Amino acid sequence: MRNPHEVLLKPLVTEKATDLLESNKYIFKVDRNANKIEIKHAIESIFKVDVTDVKTMNVRGKYKRQGRFAGYAPDWKKAIVTIKSGQRLPIFEE
Amino acid sequence: MKVTTEKLAKNKVQLTIEIAEEKFEESLQRAYRIVIKKINIPGFRKGKAPRKILEQMYGREILLEEALQDAVPKAYQEAVEEAKAEYTVVSNPEYEMVQTDKGQPFIFKASFEIKPEVQLGQYKELEIDKLPTEIKEEDIDAEINKMQQRYAKLTVVEEVEAIEGDTVTIDFVGKIDDEAFEGGTGEDYPLELGSHTFIPGFEEQLVGVKSGEIKEVSVTFPAEYQAENLAGQEAIFTVTVREIKRKELAPLDDEFAKDVSEFATLQELREDIANKLKEAAEKKAEYELRTAAVQKAAENAEVEIPAVMIENRVNQMINDFAYRLAQQGISFEKYLASTNTQIEDLEKYYQKDAETLVKADLVLEEIAKAEGIKATEEDVAKEIKKVAEHYKQEPEKLREVLEKEGRISSLEFGIMLDKAVDFIIEQAKVK
Repeated sequence: MRNPHEVLLKPLVTEKATDLLESNKYIFKVDRNANKIEIKHAIESIFKVDVTDVKTMNVRGKYKRQGRFAGYAPDWKKAIVTIKSGQRLPIFEE
Repeated sequence: MKVTTEKLAKNKVQLTIEIAEEKFEESLQRAYRIVIKKINIPGFRKGKAPRKILEQMYGREILLEEALQDAVPKAYQEAVEEAKAEYTVVSNPEYEMVQTDKGQPFIFKASFEIKPEVQLGQYKELEIDKLPTEIKEEDIDAEINKMQQRYAKLTVVEEVEAIEGDTVTIDFVGKIDDEAFEGGTGEDYPLELGSHTFIPGFEEQLVGVKSGEIKEVSVTFPAEYQAENLAGQEAIFTVTVREIKRKELAPLDDEFAKDVSEFATLQELREDIANKLKEAAEKKAEYELRTAAVQKAAENAEVEIPAVMIENRVNQMINDFAYRLAQQGISFEKYLASTNTQIEDLEKYYQKDAETLVKADLVLEEIAKAEGIKATEEDVAKEIKKVAEHYKQEPEKLREVLEKEGRISSLEFGIMLDKAVDFIIEQAKVK
């Protein structure tokens, strides 16, 4: 199994992510090659919680321009992980 | 809110104000609402980030700063309002934060100066001198004489020697060391001898000249002359006298009275002058009497005036002064520059007066308090009417304006002080 820290890259802290906390969902940026099974195991092993559902999606990199250099930001994968109700991730806790 | 009062010095008080944590939390929450609108946090639109995330990124301090601005003055106002009966604050408070940590009640200290206690001395049965208000015949004569001078006719006189009071028309060329200098020449210049328009010595030497005469006049410029290059120099003026005019005073009769005034006879004019002089003298005497009364009462009292009160008064006086200048169309900065004064000089200049005035006010206030003198509704109405007349306004309108600006209380205060002065004078032995 892959190192869980290589699968989960970082949590996404956005307005949308904050709203989803209500329904026990957490959003992460994950490795592009990771699959739902790996993500589930990674979350469970790092945070010691039970994952009930994982949804993933590929996000296309945006067109970026820096002066006369144009190109695309890297594509990445986003995962929305649902945790068993009653459990929490300590991401937004102090 | 818990307030502990501590007296630091005679006129200095320090309050320690404690605000319960929950209460302070409200202020923090309000602060968050304000701060969040101004801060950009990636992933959130402006004003949408939760407080937790804001605090994680910027720390609690960012909220504290805003919350203090809101909570501290409010709490301070409240505390002072409660203690109104005990003291009156005269300076801006100095704050010191004691406890701002999370999960603890919020504590801060505020120190400020208070209105000093006044130890009244004797203020009843003071002995005050009143200026005499009788008008003497000589005073009227002098007044008439001034009028005579003002309305005198100038007639050209020939073949006589000029005397003081005459107006001579002259051409003059002034030289220093045989060289003409700027402003030293003039033509057809009418000069009244004895009017002291020219440098000292000049006019005197022209007494006795005849028209057509050419005379050398040598004078020394005063050491403090406005043109520095001339100050202290000796100069010789060659003066050509063109004409001598003599003042011809009109004879004092009814005719004169008709010419210079609306009165038909000299007797009536004299009476009018007498009345006017009397009125002026009485006004002056009344003013002096009031000033003397206040001063005596203030001298007998003892007050330790906080420096801020004097400073405030000085600033107020300087502002008034600047305002008066502005009304004459002179800007304050220009005035300072042209008279070569610093604002500090003015401050020093007003210092003493301010001290006297502040003390006088404090003493009068205390007397009013001791004697139960208050401005009644009638007094206020009367005063408003008076002011309204002065500015040609409707009293009701003026009252509205004053009420809106919250100046009624200061008006009442002024009336109260005035009545206190009345009281002193009533009680005084006026001589």
